[in-house]
Parts: sequence; C-alpha cells; structure tokens
Amino acid sequence: MDFDTALIFLEQGVASGIVTGSVYALLAISIVAIFRTTAVANFAVGEIFMAGAYCALYLLVFVKVSPWIAIPATVVVVFGGSALFQAGVLRAVRRSGGPINLVIATLGLSYLLKGVVRQTGFGETPRSFPSLVPNHSLTIGSAFLTWLDLAILTAAMLIMVGFFLMFNYTRLGRAMRALGMNQRAAQLVGVDIGRMNTLIWGLSGALSAAAALLIAPKLLLTADMGTVGTMGFAAAIIGGFSSFPGAVIGGFVIGIAENLVGLFIAAHAIAVTPFVMIILVLVLRPQGIFGGAQEIKKV
Amino acid sequence: MSRTLIVWAALAALVVALLLMPVFFTGYVVYIANVTLVYIVLALGLHILTGEAGQFALSHAASYGIGIYTAAIVNKSALGIFPLPILAGGLVAGALGLFVGLVALRMRDIYLALATFAFGEAMQWVFLDWSSVTGGANGTQIAPTAIFRYQILNDKQAYPVVLALTAILIVATLALSRSRTGSALRAVRESEVAAMAVGVNVRRIKLTAFVLSGVYAGLAGGIFTLFSTYIGPESLGFQTTIFVLTMIVVGGLGSVLGAICGAVIMSLGSEMLRNALSYQEIIYGVLLMGFMMYASGGVIEPLRRVWRRTGETANV
Amino acid sequence: MTVRNRWGLLAAMAVTLAGAMPAAAQSDPGVTPTTIKIGVFGPLSGPNMAYGFDVIKAAQMWYDKTNQEGGVNGRKIELVIEDDRCTPDGVIAAVKKLVEQDQVFMLNGGSCSAAVLPAKEYVVRNQIPWLTLNASADGALYPPTGYIFGSTSISMHAAGGSVIDFSAKNFGAKKIAFINHDDAYGSWNHEAAAYVADDEKVELTAQSIQPSVTDVTAPLLKVLAGKPDALVIMTYARPAALIVKRAYELGFDKPIILTQTGSANLDQLVENVGTKDAFKNFYVQDVMADVIGGPKIKWVYDMYKTYYPDLAAQPDHPGAYMPYGVVTAQAVVNALKLAGPDLTREKARLAMSTLKFDTGILGGPIEFRPNDPAGNRRTTYEKFDGTNHTMLPGAYESTWVYKAP
Repeated sequence: MDFDTALIFLEQGVASGIVTGSVYALLAISIVAIFRTTAVANFAVGEIFMAGAYCALYLLVFVKVSPWIAIPATVVVVFGGSALFQAGVLRAVRRSGGPINLVIATLGLSYLLKGVVRQTGFGETPRSFPSLVPNHSLTIGSAFLTWLDLAILTAAMLIMVGFFLMFNYTRLGRAMRALGMNQRAAQLVGVDIGRMNTLIWGLSGALSAAAALLIAPKLLLTADMGTVGTMGFAAAIIGGFSSFPGAVIGGFVIGIAENLVGLFIAAHAIAVTPFVMIILVLVLRPQGIFGGAQEIKKV
Repeated sequence: MSRTLIVWAALAALVVALLLMPVFFTGYVVYIANVTLVYIVLALGLHILTGEAGQFALSHAASYGIGIYTAAIVNKSALGIFPLPILAGGLVAGALGLFVGLVALRMRDIYLALATFAFGEAMQWVFLDWSSVTGGANGTQIAPTAIFRYQILNDKQAYPVVLALTAILIVATLALSRSRTGSALRAVRESEVAAMAVGVNVRRIKLTAFVLSGVYAGLAGGIFTLFSTYIGPESLGFQTTIFVLTMIVVGGLGSVLGAICGAVIMSLGSEMLRNALSYQEIIYGVLLMGFMMYASGGVIEPLRRVWRRTGETANV
Repeated sequence: MTVRNRWGLLAAMAVTLAGAMPAAAQSDPGVTPTTIKIGVFGPLSGPNMAYGFDVIKAAQMWYDKTNQEGGVNGRKIELVIEDDRCTPDGVIAAVKKLVEQDQVFMLNGGSCSAAVLPAKEYVVRNQIPWLTLNASADGALYPPTGYIFGSTSISMHAAGGSVIDFSAKNFGAKKIAFINHDDAYGSWNHEAAAYVADDEKVELTAQSIQPSVTDVTAPLLKVLAGKPDALVIMTYARPAALIVKRAYELGFDKPIILTQTGSANLDQLVENVGTKDAFKNFYVQDVMADVIGGPKIKWVYDMYKTYYPDLAAQPDHPGAYMPYGVVTAQAVVNALKLAGPDLTREKARLAMSTLKFDTGILGGPIEFRPNDPAGNRRTTYEKFDGTNHTMLPGAYESTWVYKAP
C-alpha cells in the first residue's frame, strides 16, 4: 500500500471511527452507570438498545407520528421498561441469589426482548427509519462524512456532557456516586437504595435508547443488532469499567480501531477486534486507562 | 423398606431402561439421548469450575469446540483408534483450560466473566477463520469412529459407548466432589483468604478447576464425534456457553445431581420446543428470569428438602 | 461382579448387536402401492424464515396439483414437513426425524446452504436421494455424491461465476470490485468468480465482510481504490443496503450489480438506502425468466393466490423466493415419473442425475449431469432504478466446473 492511500485510509478510518465511537461511548456509559452503582454487568444492554430502535421504528413508520413525539416517547418507554425490569425482576433476584444470578437474569431479558421483537414480524427484513437529517455530505481532509454522521456525533457529545453534568453537579448525581462508593454509608445518609437502583436502570435504558435513535439510520434494524452491545462492553473495559470519561474515550478507541483494522488488516478481522482488545486490557492493565490503582477488595 | 434400598432399586431400573432404550425407540430418539448425554458431560465440567470452585468463566464452548475439532482431526489420522481421538480432545482442551486458568488467576468475578467471554468469542472467530485446520465456515466432516475393527455408523451404535463414557464421568465427578479436592474447591468458592488460611493452595486449586473443566468439555467434544457427522463454528459460541450455564443454574448450582438434571431438562426441553416457532427465545428468557427470581436453588432444591425430611442428610 | 453389573453387560451387548444389524429392507421405506412419502424441511420460523416459508408453501401446492392430476405413476405424494430454522442443529434433527421416525422415501428440503451442509454425510451414508429446496448448497453438492442434488434456485458457484460474465460482457468491465461475506457462501461464490475472471482476463478485487458489519467504509474504500469499472455486491440484504448507500455517498457512479444473495426485497432496499438517486446505474441478478410479477411467470403467482388467498393478502407474502418451491417440486415429480412404477431409491436418484426439463419459470432449463448435481447454471439480469424493473435480454452462464483437488 502506498503512503497516499494509507493516509487516506487513516483519515477516513479515524473520522468514521469517531462517529460510530460516539455511539459506542453512549452504550459504554450506560453499562458503567449500572456497574458503578449496583455492581451488575448488564448483558442485556445490546437488546435494550435494539428494543429502543424497534420502538422508534414502530412509532415513526407504522403509527406515523412525528419525530418530535416519537423520539421522546421511545426514550420514555425504554426508561420505563428498564426501570420496571430492575424493580420487578432484579430486586427479586438479588434477594435470593448472588452476582451470577443477576447476570443470568439480564441474559434472560436479552432473550425475551429478542424473541418479542421477532414475534412482531418486523424483525424479518432489515428496516430503516427516515433520516431526520438531509442527505448532504462534506469532506474533512480526505475523510468523507455525511451530515448524519455529524449530527450523530454532536448529539452524542451533548448527551454525554449532559450526563456528566448531572452526575457531578446535581443532588441525584451525588446520590449515585455515594451509592457506588459505599452502599451502607449511602443508606445512612438518607439515600433510598431501592429507588436509586430503579432510577439508575431507567437512566441507563434511556442512554441505550438514545444511542439506538442516533445510529439506527446508519445501521439498519434487525433483531440481531444487539451485538453492538459487545462494543459497548469493550469500550467500558478499556476505559476502566467504572469511569465515565474512560468509557467515552474507550468508545472512540473501539470505533477507530474497528475501522483501522478493517482498512489496514482485513475486513474479516473486524469482528474479532473488540474481543482481542478486551483480553489485552484485562490481562495487561485490568483497571483500564482511567481506573487508577487496582482495587483491593476487603474480604 | 429403607430409603437407601429404594434409591438403589430406582437407579437400577433407570440403568436398565437406558440400556434397553434403542431396542424400543427409533434412531432419532437415540440421537436426542446422545445429545443429552453430551450436554450432561458439558454441564459436569462447568459444574466443577463454576458450581464447586465458584469461578464465573464464560468460555466453555471454546473448550468444547477444541475437543470436537481435535477429535475429528485425530480420528482421520493414523492415530484414529478409539479412544485416542476422544482422549486427544480432552487433552488439548485441558491444556487450553490451563492457559485460561493461568491468565485468569488474578481476575475476579465480573472481570473473569468478561475476559473469558471475550476469549470464547475470539476462539469462535479462530474456528471460523483458520480454514486450513478447521475447514472454516464450511466446517469439518467427521469420519466414523472405529472400535477395534468395528465401525460406528449411526446413533444406535454409538449410544452404548456414549452412555458408558458419560456414566464413567458422572462417577468421577461424584468422587471428586466428595474428595478433599472437592472440599478445597468449595472452600475457594466461599472465600479465597479463608481457604488459604486453612492451608489450601488456592492457586493450584483454581488451576485444577480450570484444567478439569477444560478436560470435561474436550471429552464431551470427543464423545460428540462418535455420533455426529459434522461440526461447524456456528454452534460453538457464547450462546452454547450460556446454554450450559443455564443448565447448572436451573438444575441447582453447586450440585452434581443438579447439573445432570439441568442438562436433561434443558436438552429435552429445547428439543420439544424446536417446533414452537418463535416462542423459543421468549420462553427461554422467561424461564431464565423466573428461575433466578423464584427458584435460585434450582430444580434440585425441592428434591433436597424431601430428602432431608425423609431422614439422613446426603451431599448429592 | 454384582448381579446388576452382569445383567447390565448382557443388555449392553444385546443392544450393540441390535444396532449393528443392517436394516433388512425388502422394499425402500416411504413407498406403498398408493403413496410416496417425501420429507420436506426448511425454515418455517426464526430469523431466516423469509428464505423458506413461501418456498415450502409453493412446493406444497405443486405436489398437490400433481396429486390432483393423478399423482406419479399411480401413487399420490404424501408430505411430512419439518421446521429446521436454518440452523445446522435444526437441519440434522429434522433430517433424522424424517428419515428414522417418519420413514420418508426421499428428502426435498433445505433453504440455507450453511445449514444443510451438516446433513450431507448422514444422507449419503443412509443412501437417501435428496434434492434441496432453494439452498445453494454448494458444500453438499461438491464433490458429487450421487445422492444429493440441488440449486434449483442457483448454486453459489453459478451465481458468482455468471455475474462476472455479465459484468465483463455487458459493460465491457476490465476491473471488477467484488464484496462478499467470509462465510461458506462467500468461499463458493468467490471461487467461481475468480475462475471466470481469470478465464475472461478481467481483474477482480475482492473484500469479504462479516454479515454483522456495522460500517462498510473500510472494505468499500479498499475495493474502490483501484478505480474499478463495476461493483458486484454478493452480500445479504442488510450489508448490501449499507454498501449501496455508502458507495453513493462516496460518489461511485459506475454500474452496481446486486446478486441473488441480497435481492429478496428490493423495495425495502430502496427505503433502507434512502434515495432513489443511488439506483441510477443499478442492476439486479435474477434467476427467473422475468421480473417479479412479469408476464412470463405470472402463472406461478396466480397459482399461489388461488391456493393461499389469506397469505397472499398479507404484506411480505409471497416472499421473493416463492417460485423456487415450484421448480424444486417439479424436479422431484419429474424424476419420480422417470424412475417408473417399480420405484426404488436407487432408481429415483439415477433418474434425477440425468434429468433435464424446462420449468416455465427460470431463465434456463434445469439440467442435472452426473458430474454436476447443480441443476441451474444460468442467471438473468434486470435494471432497477428504484421504481421500475426492466428485464435485460439473455442469460449468462458460469463456466466453472468442479475439479477434484
């Protein structure tokens, strides 16, 4: 490969990678939000993401409401559904089992969501919903981006900033942080653990729904699109699994790596990239980029 | 009649029924039985690692896959004499288990789960990509196994061998569970520090668990090659690992009998649901959540209560 | 040795002997003086339902029509239908059930090549004639076994080879970009594409992507780097839409040819791409003699409407692959008729191996040869601008032939 082509590939890879990476970052934040406060790994994050996309599809294409209604409606529905899952299912599981049981319960949710979407019949052919952004494009350097790409990036960044502000500067955010640091202490200072857990799950669901709304026009919807969840996990792990800025950086890293591997190594190596990265991080530097010193758990 | 006598009699009746099954049922039913027996071995392997030793590892399907491909390849080579291909499968998968164990020694809980999940998926990609060895997406055709000069050509012929091997492994697992190693495994599960305090070499026990789990999965793969004609990467991924995990959890985490029950229930259940159209995933999801919410001790829990009520305690 | 162990040993020995005895077959199973039992299997549910549901329905209606016209040499055809969900485990279970539980005479099933491959060894070992439904099934067909026939839609080799023939001859393309998948289908269609490209002195640049790909920018940039004269897309529908869209965004304006693998629902494709401008220079590979709904093949759709009025009223029915069900049933019926009233599995498979007939649906005849059990080697092409389908004249053939390594 000559130098010019390599440079073009590099620029395009980075540009496209930043766009998809911003969506992976949202998913990663969604995962970290739950893990940091309740120590549960949500293996259903991909399917919640998928369910959000189909909810929007249903509203936009079949019920034909305007996007101004469909978008908030989708976010609310997924928020509610996730919160319901936590309150209804996970609370019962927590009473009778350990961490493995909680993870399996989320796996159960992922199968249920996939099955339900397939049942509706919409999942058979790949679908799309109308792009809210006109079909123009521009070039930055030799990188080619569409207006949709930029819209995705901007929206994702706004959401992330909003979340970050909420987490660090509001009372709600403070309660979440307290919960993550020490449950019992948080309870002692008046944090209602049950309600917080439910709220956090709802919020996490809302983030996944937002990610779905942003990337679905680019990705097309199928009942199996939940595999994007793995990217979210990879991003979260690279970032240190309990750090939000880390999750964001992790998202961009995964997005860019995916593209660069595809351009410089081989297209069929793209699929294994997130897995290799997860293994490398967990083996070489388990605390990720931002995890600080390794945690030593009290027995 | 004493309770022990009832149990032995029931067991004897079960063994006879199992042995005579091929005489009264078609090859298709025997095929289902063979598949279920392989799942039992897989469940036992995961039981040792996750049930007894408490290591939440998600790469079981990778060891299984390695076992199948190894056995298939060895079977076609000059060393293709029973039971060498099966033992080779167990050996290579055990070595893989050792490798995973060494890397995983430092990892705990969710990090272990995520790392082994990624490893399992990466292995599936290797199965798909390394075409020169595994046949890639086209998979590998499995040649018939030869026992002495006699070729196993169908499910009914394979069944007695599959049944015997599974029975051996069940006995071995029970023996392991009741041995000092078994106690050590459980000690590590409860608390690594406390285990160390009473003199358990935690590092060695963990590695033992990983190796044994790999060996079991590899042997299961070898047994699979006795009655199957094909293997491809599509059935060797996370979904299969989760399926086996569900077996030991639904059956009853930490119990050998639970693992066996779970394997039988899930295997037969999924076969019965095969024609239930798209409800399979929904039923599976509801089942998982339901068990986790209300029956986290698994199917074995009510059985245990009955056992305790009828007298002597037992550690099945 | 305890009493129980000794009896156990005896029982085990008896069982082994019982299983070892060869089936003492007087006549082949599945045949009575008045009926022939045929085992049909395909995806009736699950993510790949679109590949098989209506195909099975179409086969059913042809078999029914045959029965109403008197059957095959005085025998009526009886169908046993199993759902295989297009997974290898599903296919194996369906085949074993049909053969051992239902005792069918022959098999007519399989819509997904990767799923039917596992059953190859089993079917050959048990000497059962098997014609696939609409699966390309190259892996099961080659090397030829004498028992397995297929591709009455089109084999992947024929599809891959003939699209290169079309691109080279119709557009005079000297450099062709080729995107396919890194799965079983991909290895087959690429093998023939490379063969034909070599034959016709055309440069082929290929990239294989995973079906679950999210961003096609990388592979697309790679194949377009050499400024090809045509782009051939041999992927499933979802990646195909992503590629068409991205290629348009990148300003690619040369001919784009979408092959059989991704052309199931062209209207949805247009919706997914988002603009009809992307289809200014767009062609679709076909196997049938006319576009869907065209006059030459209207009779099949009319027949479907008569048999299944409720289904025909629903959206997405009949599916794009529906007519292949008729073709494959035609082949089975014709082969059985050819085998004569004294019907055995051996006669049936020998009849099939030299069967040649015109279907009234495909662009070319179904022709099985002893050294090539893939019945259809020709593809046709239509120009699609997002709304209108225009059939191009002629049929293009793949010159690829199987050679034992």
